[in-house]
Amino acid sequence: MSLTSVTGYFTPEDNEEVLGLLQKYGDGAMIVAGGSFVHGLDARDLLNGIEVLIDIRRLGLDKVTADSEGLDVGATVTFSELQKISEIRDSAAFGAVRDALNYPPTQIRNVATVGGNIAAACPYFDLPTALAAVGAIVKVQGRGGPREIGLQDFFAGLFENNLEDSEFVSGLYLPLPPPRSASAFIKFETNANDLAIVNVAVGVTLDESRVCQEARVVVGGGVAETPVRASSSESLMQSEELSDELMRQAGEAVQSDLQPMSDHRASAEYRTAIAKVLTERALQRAVARIQL
Amino acid sequence: MNTTVVGESILRPDAYEKVQGGKGFPVNVTLPRMLHAKLLRSPYPYARILNIDASAAEELTGVKAVLLPKDVPQKKYCPVYFVPTMAASMVQDMVVMSDTVRYAGQPVAAVAATTPEIAERALQLIDVEYEQLEAVFDPESAMREGAPRLHEDAENNIAVNPSFTFGDLEAGFEGADHIFEGTYKTQRAHTCYLEPRVCVVDSDINGRLTVHSSMQHMFGLREKLAFVLDIPESMVKVVKPPYIGGGFGGKLDIGYIEPIAALFSLKTGRPVRIEQTRYEDFITTTRNPIEVYLKTGVKSDGTFTARYALSTLDCGAHATHGAEVINVHGMFGILLNYRCANQTWEGRTVYTNNMIGGGYRGYGSPQGSFAVESQIDEICDELDLDPIEFRLKNAHQEGDPHPFNPEFTLSTYRFADCLKQAAERIGWTDRAAAKSSNGHKKRGIGFGCQPVWVSGCMGFPDIYEHSGAIIKLNSDGTADLSNATVDMGSGQITTLCQIAAEELGLAADKVRMTYADTDTVPFDAPSHASRVTYSAGNAVKAASAVVKKRLLEVAGDLLEASSEDLEVRDGVVYIKGSDKKISIPDVIKRAEGPFVVMTEEGPKPTTIKEKGTIIGVASMAPPSNPSPSSVEFVELEVDTDTGEVEILRVVFAHDIGKVINPMAAEGQVEGGFQQGMGYALMEEIQFDADSGACLTADFLDYKIPTAVEMPPSIESIFIESNEPTGPFGAKSLSEPCVSVPAPAIANAIYNAVGVRVRELPITPEKILAGLGKL
Amino acid sequence: MKKLITLEINGEQHELALEPSETLLQVLRDELGLVGAKRGCDSGGCGCCTVQVDGQAVYSCMQFAHALQGRTVKTIEGMSQNGELDPLQAAFIEEGAVQCGYCTCGMIMTADEFLATETEPDDQQIRHAIAGNLCRCTGYQKIVTAIKTASARR
Repeated sequence: MSLTSVTGYFTPEDNEEVLGLLQKYGDGAMIVAGGSFVHGLDARDLLNGIEVLIDIRRLGLDKVTADSEGLDVGATVTFSELQKISEIRDSAAFGAVRDALNYPPTQIRNVATVGGNIAAACPYFDLPTALAAVGAIVKVQGRGGPREIGLQDFFAGLFENNLEDSEFVSGLYLPLPPPRSASAFIKFETNANDLAIVNVAVGVTLDESRVCQEARVVVGGGVAETPVRASSSESLMQSEELSDELMRQAGEAVQSDLQPMSDHRASAEYRTAIAKVLTERALQRAVARIQL
Repeated sequence: MNTTVVGESILRPDAYEKVQGGKGFPVNVTLPRMLHAKLLRSPYPYARILNIDASAAEELTGVKAVLLPKDVPQKKYCPVYFVPTMAASMVQDMVVMSDTVRYAGQPVAAVAATTPEIAERALQLIDVEYEQLEAVFDPESAMREGAPRLHEDAENNIAVNPSFTFGDLEAGFEGADHIFEGTYKTQRAHTCYLEPRVCVVDSDINGRLTVHSSMQHMFGLREKLAFVLDIPESMVKVVKPPYIGGGFGGKLDIGYIEPIAALFSLKTGRPVRIEQTRYEDFITTTRNPIEVYLKTGVKSDGTFTARYALSTLDCGAHATHGAEVINVHGMFGILLNYRCANQTWEGRTVYTNNMIGGGYRGYGSPQGSFAVESQIDEICDELDLDPIEFRLKNAHQEGDPHPFNPEFTLSTYRFADCLKQAAERIGWTDRAAAKSSNGHKKRGIGFGCQPVWVSGCMGFPDIYEHSGAIIKLNSDGTADLSNATVDMGSGQITTLCQIAAEELGLAADKVRMTYADTDTVPFDAPSHASRVTYSAGNAVKAASAVVKKRLLEVAGDLLEASSEDLEVRDGVVYIKGSDKKISIPDVIKRAEGPFVVMTEEGPKPTTIKEKGTIIGVASMAPPSNPSPSSVEFVELEVDTDTGEVEILRVVFAHDIGKVINPMAAEGQVEGGFQQGMGYALMEEIQFDADSGACLTADFLDYKIPTAVEMPPSIESIFIESNEPTGPFGAKSLSEPCVSVPAPAIANAIYNAVGVRVRELPITPEKILAGLGKL
Repeated sequence: MKKLITLEINGEQHELALEPSETLLQVLRDELGLVGAKRGCDSGGCGCCTVQVDGQAVYSCMQFAHALQGRTVKTIEGMSQNGELDPLQAAFIEEGAVQCGYCTCGMIMTADEFLATETEPDDQQIRHAIAGNLCRCTGYQKIVTAIKTASARR
């Protein structure tokens, strides 16, 4: 059965058209690309008053360009397409993104887009957690022209982002981290087509003596309304040699940064316990990527 | 017994169509001028309807009719297909649409419109005024004094409370060296048939109904629909679907959709279609949760001296299958599986404001086997006894009277062989002692049994058990088989065609399952209770024998031989021990040809006694109810940091009598493990504690195993014991393979990490808690 | 408001007037009678509706009709050529991978895309490829075997 509330579906070809439509329909409009989240929102009564969908896949935001500074990813690049990009497929630096993209089934990867996934501001998703661990920057287009906003600042709350009216996500920028950097992402799910019960992404930069120059530990899934930077865990590792024992302690430390919820999938205690385990394992995986 | 077709992995004839689109599913049925109906469902778990204003809905363009509780018959019935509607052992407490809502999701109004979208929009325009009542969601609370009474005649909300006693329980406990007690709980799970419940009902000017539905019992649907509408059964015709997209017992009762679609069709004069959404399916049918308390007495050597069990089944708002599930559970989940002179079982089917239940493969035995097989392992662990020896010591023996009905015997019974062969295959004697693995991933092996089961329902009070078939030979040497067995994916078509082909002496691809409806074929009980191979198979074999007898009579006439001296091989009739023969097409040409044939010498008469279509009918009850037997061993690994379980290997052994189709039989075991594993580790329909609303109404929230979670291999061992009363020696298969995984997995987890979980599903969280890490 | 959408389905051009809320699954089943794509959950959870759009396996129950302008769709009805079954279809039959058959067409469409780039997959890769297709009858074992068999033949 179709979503009878949706009475208009537009496929604009330039920014002005998009802005015009956003202005015209206001809260009744939703920007989509793959549109793979719309029916799920509707089933949970979260499509409040959305009447029109604005499909931005004709705006030419489907390119990925790499330079010495980083990776520029257009908003409508699909998961499948991004998986094929060599920087994502092979690098240690963006390992977390590679890991996250591999989880959903084929049918989702072929359709879900990077921009759509971030704009949804869904804390159960995987990509936001992974992208936060690699310091991604969100590129936004709007009436006031283009701007950039750090990923962590992009999320405002459950299904809420910090876009202004008339703004939409036009892409992502992944800055290339220093040498001897790696990231990893692990998702804890019940079966292979699932939202995360907990997910964890880490990004680390080490020097030649394995001393941690920078660490990002991000926890997502059902732990908060937005992905959480586990600052206790991060500060424990800062400027320390990243030994097995320290990685284990970093996992332990994550627990104090979290206030997860209990729901029909898992209890808060369990989410916390898993976050600890995943953090340590993700760190191990990331560090192993640097050795390679 | 030498067979040429039976015993071969004949490819399924329906597979050809299914890989190219599958036109035959009931969900594809469309008729001219068909209307679409939708049901409005109550958001409240317990409420009285004070008023319904549907005027705005009625006025919406495209809406053709609206039905409210006041517009539908208020006759009470039991919706279960395989019993007579007013069977004394069941509870007749269901009404098509009631003024009293007893569970969240119960339909309170319906709209028929020209499109499903219009019908859906019309539902939103219906204004229902509810008076909410205090609801009760668990059986213990429901049985307490002062709990809200959900049905007039059910005191303490107990729908039925059967009990069975053998011997002297007290003496038995006195004679025990050790007594063990424990409570085991199982959850609400869904069959997850992928084709939704769907029907199209049409009516003619005389009010005669034609029904298409995704269901497991044609004649049951006819009987129930006629009853609900208060019309003669002959006014209802149910068309046999070529196949349906899964049932697993979840389509064994009349839903709301068939009566409502029928009423709409009679009202509008048009065909009416209703297809349930996946959310609606999740709240339509379920495996009942059962809490089992076991108290067991044993001698130090492991012999049972006394067994007591108390089972509490939550049937939700209406009893539906719950009055029968509790009996099957008590009998085949608990009491009958092992020998013990002193046993008492008490069961209670309890009303709550939860969703209603349905049938589901195993039908109460998975809930029982989980408890019994877990406890046996606990006993063995405590007393340092070998779990295989324990079971063998207490097992029934071949030749014993059947534990359920002493008029039958365990004519073939190879439980011991199942245990030994499966144990050897998995390497049971090499397994590590419990909890002895190292590292954070620990391995374990465990097993579970379904020692006694059924091949159909022969001998059970109030349950239909007879089958029929019509078989006709065609002039091209093929045969048409028509019967009322619904193929829901387990291979019923293939099995019955193979049995017919074997009996007739035809190649497998010469027998075709053809059209049927309730006007044209004899009664058949449903596709359930593991009965089709044994019960329907026997009837098909009998009908084939009638055809063969007639074929040999006519062929004998043509070959000038007695039919006793003839045999059929691969479509040709031979005089035994000679090369005088005649092909079946030639026999048919004669039998169906004109009486007088024009020849060169002029018209010549043939003989009258050859004339007529070669056709056979049978309608019969099966001769017995032989017990198959099965065991499953599971090897798995537990991640002690997360509690996750990975299944590594599965070995299943089953005393099957005779395998009709090995590939199909393996398929049943492999599919059964997916369901059993899901039941053991992840599946649970959950509800909001306050509102009773369903929290797991799609596959995102209700988890079933995908290809990724399944083990890399599932091995099947079939022990052929050649059951004398079965068609070519066959017994049944399909349900035990769903009952055994959960206890096997629970026991393997204990072997791996020493954590005993007595509540399903055994989630990683429960294991981690059991390890003391939460 | 209905909009005229042109798209190619199994090699044939179609011009259809479609509502913005319609999905590709509805277009296939209700507008065109191509009933191979099936509704199992209408929410991208079961995979029974899987078809290919521009060569990629997608959940047709979640594809919006107006986004299909100019696209190429392949369904199970487009798998066999001149009455000859595709090796995947043949392998599903021969390996016993079809029981009730409701998941079958979706499985084949997913496997078809998978085998276009993976010529010698191992079991684990196959299982990962079909993770978005649920089956309740077979336990997936013979489906994995069938896909492997087909990969050797294609």
